[in-house]
Amino acid sequence: MTALTTNAPGFKQIAVEDFRLTEEPFYLPIRDEVELFETAYADSVPVLLKGPTGAGKTRFVEYMSWRLHNKGGHGGHEEGVPLITVACHEDLTASDLVGRYLLEGDETRWIDGPVTRAVKNGAICYLDEVVEARKDTTVLIHPLTDYRRLLPVEKRGELLEAADGFLLVMSYNPGYQSAIKDLKHSTRQRFIAIEFDYPPRDQEAIIIERESLVDAATAMELAKLAEKVRNLKEHGLGEGVSTRLLVYAGKLIHGGISRRRACQVSIVWALTDDREVQRSIEEVVASIFDD
Amino acid sequence: MSIADDLTARYAADLRGFGAALPDDFATGARAMSAHLSDEELEAWAKAGIELANSSLRAWEAAAEYFRASADIVERLGTEGIARWAAQATELSSRSSLIAAQFLKSTPEALAVLQPEDLEEWAQQGDRLCRGNWKSIALAQLYFQISPSLFRSLSLPSVGRLVDVIDQLTERSYELATTALEGSGQIFASLSGHDREPFLRFARAVTRASWADTRLYFERGPKLIERIEAPQRAAFLDLAGRVTTEVGRQGFPLFSDAAEALGGMATEEHGAYIAFASKIATGSPTAAMEYLKSAPFVATRLNPDQRSLWEQEGLEILAVEHNPEGAEAYFRLESTRAEERMRALSSRVELSSINSMLRMYAKALSGEPVSVHSAEDLVERGIGWVTESAASTEGSSIYLPPYVATFPEQEANFQVYKVFTTHQTGRMEFGSFDYAWDMPGAHVASTGPRREVAAALRRQEQGIAAPKAEAVTAVQRLFNCFDDRNLIAGLFTVVEDTRVDALVSREYGGIRRWLKRLQDHEIGRRPKVEEMALRQAFVENLLRASLGQAEAIRWPIMLREYMTDGIAALRMVEQAGATVQDSAEVAGALYDIATSIPNVRMPNPDGKFDFEGASQEMMDVLPSMPGGGEGGPDMPGNQQEMAFENPPQPDFRGDFKPELVQLMAKLKLQQEGGADAGGSLTKEQLMELLQNSVELSISEWAEGDLDQSLGMFLDNLQKEAGTPAGDKKGEKKDGDASADGGKGEGPDEGELPVEVTWFYYDEWDFRAGDYRPRWTRVGERVSAEGDRDFYEETLRKHHGLVMETRKQFEMMRPESFKKIKRLEDGDELDTDLAIEFHVDKKAGAGPSARIYNRRNKIERDVAVAFLLDMSASTDEEIEKQKVKHSGKDDDDDDNFDGDPRRYFQWLAARRAKALVEPPKRIIDLEKESTVLIVEALEAIGDSYGIYGFSGYGRDNVEFHVIKDLDEQMSERVERRISKIEPIRSTRMGPALRHTIHKLDEYDAKVKILILVSDGRPQDHGYGRDRTEKEYAVHDTKQALVEAKRVGITPFLITVDKEGHDYLKQMCDDIGYEVVDDIESLPRRLPTLYRHLAAD
Repeated sequence: MTALTTNAPGFKQIAVEDFRLTEEPFYLPIRDEVELFETAYADSVPVLLKGPTGAGKTRFVEYMSWRLHNKGGHGGHEEGVPLITVACHEDLTASDLVGRYLLEGDETRWIDGPVTRAVKNGAICYLDEVVEARKDTTVLIHPLTDYRRLLPVEKRGELLEAADGFLLVMSYNPGYQSAIKDLKHSTRQRFIAIEFDYPPRDQEAIIIERESLVDAATAMELAKLAEKVRNLKEHGLGEGVSTRLLVYAGKLIHGGISRRRACQVSIVWALTDDREVQRSIEEVVASIFDD
Repeated sequence: MSIADDLTARYAADLRGFGAALPDDFATGARAMSAHLSDEELEAWAKAGIELANSSLRAWEAAAEYFRASADIVERLGTEGIARWAAQATELSSRSSLIAAQFLKSTPEALAVLQPEDLEEWAQQGDRLCRGNWKSIALAQLYFQISPSLFRSLSLPSVGRLVDVIDQLTERSYELATTALEGSGQIFASLSGHDREPFLRFARAVTRASWADTRLYFERGPKLIERIEAPQRAAFLDLAGRVTTEVGRQGFPLFSDAAEALGGMATEEHGAYIAFASKIATGSPTAAMEYLKSAPFVATRLNPDQRSLWEQEGLEILAVEHNPEGAEAYFRLESTRAEERMRALSSRVELSSINSMLRMYAKALSGEPVSVHSAEDLVERGIGWVTESAASTEGSSIYLPPYVATFPEQEANFQVYKVFTTHQTGRMEFGSFDYAWDMPGAHVASTGPRREVAAALRRQEQGIAAPKAEAVTAVQRLFNCFDDRNLIAGLFTVVEDTRVDALVSREYGGIRRWLKRLQDHEIGRRPKVEEMALRQAFVENLLRASLGQAEAIRWPIMLREYMTDGIAALRMVEQAGATVQDSAEVAGALYDIATSIPNVRMPNPDGKFDFEGASQEMMDVLPSMPGGGEGGPDMPGNQQEMAFENPPQPDFRGDFKPELVQLMAKLKLQQEGGADAGGSLTKEQLMELLQNSVELSISEWAEGDLDQSLGMFLDNLQKEAGTPAGDKKGEKKDGDASADGGKGEGPDEGELPVEVTWFYYDEWDFRAGDYRPRWTRVGERVSAEGDRDFYEETLRKHHGLVMETRKQFEMMRPESFKKIKRLEDGDELDTDLAIEFHVDKKAGAGPSARIYNRRNKIERDVAVAFLLDMSASTDEEIEKQKVKHSGKDDDDDDNFDGDPRRYFQWLAARRAKALVEPPKRIIDLEKESTVLIVEALEAIGDSYGIYGFSGYGRDNVEFHVIKDLDEQMSERVERRISKIEPIRSTRMGPALRHTIHKLDEYDAKVKILILVSDGRPQDHGYGRDRTEKEYAVHDTKQALVEAKRVGITPFLITVDKEGHDYLKQMCDDIGYEVVDDIESLPRRLPTLYRHLAAD
């Protein structure tokens, strides 16, 4: 299938398997994650990205899909490996992933699910927030993750062998540590795990500056604020502030919103509904920014 | 022979029958009188006397007084007056000769004040007190005895009013009346003229309202009003009088409290207070007095302008809302509205209101699990800190003053707290306590070892003993290198605080402005540097420089070099990257400069130091520092050196005690990590540290044995190190409990008594229509454990019922997946629907594409809390209850059928039965029901908590945790259920609120609260008086409404047959049930729950 463009202006529609990044996404490697991923990809070792929300997991996958050039000559991609992202949720079923029959006119028609498409096209299949999916669903991917690299399509009585370049990547936020939302061991032990944490202050500042176009000093202050707010994790906050939120704050500041106000809407209120915690964070903001 | 002698002779016989002295008195009197009277008049005078003597049994005594006193007053009274006087006496004498005698005797003294025509009135007043019995006679006699002196301070009509009071008292107690009368002379003499009348008027009111309080009033009254501004006393007493007339026996206590409160206030304000009180007195006299009682407290929070706004609000409750009870509560400060209004108006900021916010703030900044406490706590702990008004930290907690009112604006005072906190957190964040031995700083090399060697040499030379034991902490080792520990500690503090302030300014742009303002404020409070000795002035000037106030430095110009060098050294730690190591080195360098300055009086205190000369540029301090240089060029010499003392610390920096903090950290490490924390510390080492440390205030020690107090101190420290950082006290505030409770990792102390965590809740005052803030204190504790017998016994006894309920409940358990049909999209095709689709399609009808099924996971997410009434009334036996309710024992089997032959048989059977089955109490049924419901809930898998409550009074509501919501069912829970016992009262409101708090914190979709009780809520002080029921019912109702508000379904079950009346009022639209047949409770409870929890 090829990309199809509709005639609606400013509106682009493409098949998922054709999606690839045409521009290099900004990603600042913090440690050896790029190298790890590349090596894993080369050996078709599935990857689990662990880390809190907004720490750059998705951006990392995008970056890697851009960076990796398909070596299998499967269509000769110039712009990297196709990336198929599935946002997992609790009602996600096996057929949502694999595919299903739909009625069309007099007959039924088979529609491939995203995983099937990734398998066929040698794409990176990225299951975002995989713990959200039902456990019986996640089991489905087991045969894909070991040496077999097979996807059983039960309804059609088929087995699909993954094309070269296919890689299963999942992301997972251990912050939710609750008995219900944890990965089964049989699942998690099929992946190598790359830990993501919030970047150190200096690097986070660079990211903020680059992404939000705010000045370097403010970016640095924002990163400092982030560090302070993250100290409150488990002491009133379930999660620390994500780099993404900091970038939002930076964007608002760059757009002319006062710094305190920008932090209030993009950080304080986004993080918690608890009045007391909000107040505490606002005071930290007020201590760092004088306006 | 004079007429007098003639008369004496004539009446001698008549007089002889009486006392031996009477004739002589007569003779003397007659002689004296003859000078003033004509013969006939004298005759009449004598006759009157004889008549008097004969008027009653011992009337001659009165006659004697008559004869004696006449001459003294005859000139004032004249002949007729004397005759009237005699008649009055005779009249009195008919009551009692004693009264008459005293009347006559006191007359001359009385006439010194009274007019002759007043005698009649006076006599009548005394007469009024006499009621014929001897006690009243004695009282009347006393009256005539002391009233002349009373007239000196009171007018006749006033004394008359006093007599009214006394008279009123006699109806209750002559003793009290006598005491009051005896004391009155002195009391009124001590009062100033204007106060006497009002004092008396209020006395009347008090006596009428509560006679017993008169004594207290007479005793304490004068002292109480003494402190009220003189012109205001009358108004105040009249106000108190009005109040007392209205409120009765509460009047005097209100007066006494209000007077005391007013007494403590500035006198010039009394007028305004009393004026406002009078204004509200018309609407509510009690509110007026409550207002005065609260005045001193209010004055600490509000300035006069703010106060009048606050008063206005209270007045509005009274005048506009017509709610006197509300106004009382408002002025008594027992209403949320009053507190909130005050908080909003006051510029003062209380630590308690921002404590948890600051804690989180400090945690954020430092990244440590810091806790925030009032500085009072730190002082109490006896580990070396003594200042309550300043901030400090001991490394894991931050201590702040209980309130801040430095600036007139609330916002500014809040910012002061922030600066305090930021500076203290800064000490942690920027490593003030991390000094390590022999580590170079960012800007300066380490001189530690060199100084240590030099110090050892110096000691040897001077024959001073070296430290006995090896230093425990790095800071101690550093300080050991200097002879004057006090000086080096002081300098280190100044330098390190400079560094921290600089870092705070740099890192926290938002704080900078407030830090500056506080520094400006502090500089105005510094002691006068001009009056200090030189070396101390040097340190003080450094401190001023460190506060960014170089222009406030005063220093003799001829010694400018010292100061310039000092300031330049200080500036080094303000540079980026400076560490605590730099601070230590700079402090050392400054020490060298300071010791070369003699501590003598400043030679030229007026010389303003030209600071600008001290350039900001870096200066290589160390090489140029001579170790204790030999004085400067023109050092003032030959003066007596004064003892050196460090200037006081600014409040926001507070105490800095690195030596102690390092010691505590070390002790803690030792207790946690065992021996490998750098070897264990010997007692000798510790003592050495404590004895030498200048961080312990001398005032710590009593006169006694130094070793002993050090030992005690050490105990405190070690105890402190054993307790984990954070909560040192079990006491936590409402809602604060989950934050950092129960993480105790310190050594288990085993024999600890029941651990009680305290929570505070408001209580609803329906009269005031407002909450009483933090009115009740609920102590949560884990219930005691008994044996399991009861639990097992119940299961056995109710085997059938248990099985039945279990089964019913198991049926409620949701299937884990529920099939949803007719979807357009789903996991599986429904064959029937698919065929139908095709049929429809072929038939030409519009087919429905909803032919998929899907299985959805269903979760039952219910949390329920059972709250059991453990009040003493549940101890009641059910049999008795039955008798009480039905009036007769209608248990057929037990009924004696009246056949006397079988009586003993029947009795024996009944006794045996009672032995086997002890009489059942309500609490037993509550327990049995609990067992059943536990079994049932285990079957269904809902989360549940079981709690019991009782207690006594508002500050001791006991809350027993039998099973917490997140606790697993266990044998221990079984034991706790067995142990449930009736305790005391039933204050339902706070117990409900605490349960609500627990449920609210718990994560569940459906939340249910079931209260099982045996009667209406009641407790000591749970209402206006013992018999009032309204208050408790309203508070409970309010608590139930609060439950609904947070999404909890409350339900009440009572076994009180009379429950319907108050439950209807209490529950409104809230579910309740009166279980008529008490014994059916165990069966009923699960059934009820099933209905409640079914979705």
